[in-house]
Amino acid sequence: MPDDSARDLFPGALEMMVLRLLRHEPMHGYALVQRIQQTSQHLLQVEEGSLYPALQRLLKEGLVKAQWGVSATNRKVRIYQLTPAGTRHLEREMSRYTRMAHGINLVLGLGET
Amino acid sequence: MISLDRLFRRRRIADDLAAEIQAHLDEKAEYLVAQGMSRDEAARMARRAFGNVTRLREQGHDTWQWPTVESVLMDARFALRQLRRAPLLASIIVLTLGVGVAATATVFSWTRAILMDPLPGAGDSGRVLALESLTASGTWTPTSWPDFRDLQRSLRTVDGLAAAYPITVAVGADTRTERQSTELVSANFFSVLRVEPALGRFFPPGRDNAAGGEADVVLGYRLWQRRFAGDSAIIGRVVRINRFPFTVIGVAPPTFHGSMPGEDIGLWVPAMMIGQILPTAHGPLDDRGWRTFRVLARLARGVSPAVARDEVHRVAAAIARANGGRSEGMSATLLPIWQSHWGLQDALRAPLLVLLGACGLVLLIVCANTANLLLARATGRRREFGLRLALGAPRRRLARQLLTEAAMLTVAGSALGLACSVWLVRMFRALLPAVGPSLRDPAVDIVVLLFTVLIACLVTLVAGIAPALHGSRERLGDALGDASRGTTGGLHAMRLRSVFVVAEVALAVVALAGAGLFYDSYRHTRGVSPGFDPDHVAIGSVSLALAGYDSARADVFLSRVTEHVGREPGVSAASFTDYVPLSLGQGSWEDLQVEGYSPTRTENMKIYRAAIGPGYFDAMRIPLVSGRDFQASDDSAHAGVMIVNETFARHFLRGRSPLGIKVKGWGRWFTIVGVVRDTKIYRLTESSAPYFYVPVRQVYRPEYGYTFVARSRLSTDQAVASIEAAVRAADPGVATYGAMPLSDYVGEPLREQAAAAQLLGVMAILGLLLAAIGLYGVIAYAVGQRTREIGVRVALGAQPLDVLRVVASNIGVLVAAGLVTGLACVGALWQVVSTLLYDVHGGDLPVLAATSGLMVLVAVAAIAMPARRALRVDPILALRTD
Repeated sequence: MPDDSARDLFPGALEMMVLRLLRHEPMHGYALVQRIQQTSQHLLQVEEGSLYPALQRLLKEGLVKAQWGVSATNRKVRIYQLTPAGTRHLEREMSRYTRMAHGINLVLGLGET
Repeated sequence: MISLDRLFRRRRIADDLAAEIQAHLDEKAEYLVAQGMSRDEAARMARRAFGNVTRLREQGHDTWQWPTVESVLMDARFALRQLRRAPLLASIIVLTLGVGVAATATVFSWTRAILMDPLPGAGDSGRVLALESLTASGTWTPTSWPDFRDLQRSLRTVDGLAAAYPITVAVGADTRTERQSTELVSANFFSVLRVEPALGRFFPPGRDNAAGGEADVVLGYRLWQRRFAGDSAIIGRVVRINRFPFTVIGVAPPTFHGSMPGEDIGLWVPAMMIGQILPTAHGPLDDRGWRTFRVLARLARGVSPAVARDEVHRVAAAIARANGGRSEGMSATLLPIWQSHWGLQDALRAPLLVLLGACGLVLLIVCANTANLLLARATGRRREFGLRLALGAPRRRLARQLLTEAAMLTVAGSALGLACSVWLVRMFRALLPAVGPSLRDPAVDIVVLLFTVLIACLVTLVAGIAPALHGSRERLGDALGDASRGTTGGLHAMRLRSVFVVAEVALAVVALAGAGLFYDSYRHTRGVSPGFDPDHVAIGSVSLALAGYDSARADVFLSRVTEHVGREPGVSAASFTDYVPLSLGQGSWEDLQVEGYSPTRTENMKIYRAAIGPGYFDAMRIPLVSGRDFQASDDSAHAGVMIVNETFARHFLRGRSPLGIKVKGWGRWFTIVGVVRDTKIYRLTESSAPYFYVPVRQVYRPEYGYTFVARSRLSTDQAVASIEAAVRAADPGVATYGAMPLSDYVGEPLREQAAAAQLLGVMAILGLLLAAIGLYGVIAYAVGQRTREIGVRVALGAQPLDVLRVVASNIGVLVAAGLVTGLACVGALWQVVSTLLYDVHGGDLPVLAATSGLMVLVAVAAIAMPARRALRVDPILALRTD
């Protein structure tokens, strides 16, 4: 089922990862997918297409901006870049996520003892 | 701004996304090829890893929320295709909507023209109210000039108080004289109404300070165009009005018709010139009893009508107290123009509002019907929706699709209705005889257009929302699976449709009962005897003020014409009066003092009267109960005489013999010489009131019109012509107007009622037909859905009657529920409706029974066809359809 892989992630997780990767450097959609899979050591199976609605949402909320550029393979691609609002949003989300993960870990008995 | 901007960027966003996705797929494929995959396989692989491109693109699209222009267009195109596949349904919906919208837009146009915009051409006319004086008994009366001036000085909540006295004058020199409706107005008349001159200027402030002065006149735009060919050199020219030379100082704008709704006033003259217009009236502007002015008030900024009304009431009562002799117990009130008693809207208010209500009712039925049909269709399209859901269409999108379909039907229906109303608005005039040629047909203009658009939106919502919600609720499995072919499929939809059918039946019952009651009221009114015999009587009126007659000349003129007409072969009686009974106008009254009768402190002794000539009762066939008729010798040289009606005698004389009793009015004593039967005075529906008659010769008033009445065996045309000839013979300078058979004249107020009753009947039949369509649709659909079930039953040996019972039982419940609801609504609305009806009482059982019977009959007819189809179901075919 196409939906299942997306469901592995909680809502907002994909957006958070995208923002985090974009903070490092601007990149285009395909590169983002590659980077997520590499960085997660292929633990996260992101349906490649689901990235684009996420990018659209981020664009609409002004957290990222896009510019047409040329990829390493010499294709015309849209390169996404973090906006200051995106940076702030990322920080807020990451601290919330860290707290949540910490809490969950405590309950699961995985946190510091 | 953002979203607007976005709307224009929409297509680019979609294109960008598509290009981006394509680039992604290409890059992935290239990577895979580099890994050693074949090009085809790589492309396939890339797509698989990517997911559903279409759905993702739609999701990306949906992110930008606002439905894109192109997707709305797409919905519209798709809706059009869908509707083309169901032409019968589409045309029924469009036609019924068209009828509903056309009727509503037409009646609305007229209602607006007559009730909502009664002072066209006046600026900010919503702040202008009518100030009406009230007699001690609370009935309205015009206002006297001294009262008006006192009010003008005292009122604080009013930003300008203007007075106008409508009167007919003769314009022009002797050979080209014409009658023209005129208003004698206060100096501030135009400024209170916020009217700007089209040419020249209006009256200067301070013009009300002294009688006489500059003889200025303002022309109406149409009179200027017609009589003076729109010549802009008219300013400063002299125009003769009732033979007196007036100087034109200005022309009113084309949109302004004066302060009398429905009348087209052609001239405005300062009230101070009343002495020149009516040379025989003596000091009318100083007389508190000379109540002839209509008063208009513009509310001061920030003052509510209620506050102003309080002040008017208080101040008017104080003025009345200060002038106890003439104004004992009087006060005044403020009314919106549409509720005021002057002008056309007073007579047309009730019929128009009833009609507007009926239109609303029909429109509601149309809505219910449309919703019903659309719902049936949505249910029939469950598979389509199921399929689209399965293919990833968001539910929201499906709902939008259904709403779009409803909207397109509504737009088509409204356009049709609006187009028809342009034509119907003109037809409608024929039904409103009281609307003179002065009131132009209301235009189907931007306001009507907006009104129609509003109606269309409402209809779309009411009729489209249920199918849309229902259609998008579809569960995937149900829709695609067997359920759609099952026995009772679409329970939810069925229930919804039942609600609509009940509503339709109920509304149709209300419309039918309303029309029936109204017709009954009309029939009762028509059956009322007016107390005189209007058949075979011709009438024709003259205005002697136009000719500048004094009392002596009027005397000669009136008797000469009456004699002339009376000599005609075939004429059995001829006379004249200053008030023809059952005229819409209010007539005149006089403060009376009856010998031997002491009125209670608050009793209204202002009794309505007619001034008549000898032979009037013969001509009208009003029976003389006792005493004698007036004679030629009852003139100003002899003692005053009076004839009273029976109610007068009963009320004031209480068993005393009326003959010889003295009554004081006009400052002198009259002796009662006769008693006549009661007649209806203003309307057929009034209850009897004291009334009296005096000889014209003893109370001649030049400003009144006088009407000759002639009873004859001649054809009414000949009789009318003989009156006109006699007037010409007596004085070629006097023109006859309003010459017609009396039966036509007194029938006129009834014509509106008749027209309203007929129109209501048409509306009710329309409602009934729509309800029938709704019933038919529901049953036909139910039968269609249950074909297999019926087939099984028949195959198992069910009798045709059993099958019929199955089909009919549900519907019987619906019709019964609709009937009960409808009758309950009639009961609830009774309070409102009964004020508009005459002699029709709460339990008008025949009407209600007939209504119910008709409804049941129509329901049976609507059921019959599909039921017959159910009986003919061939079990083999029915079972084989799946």
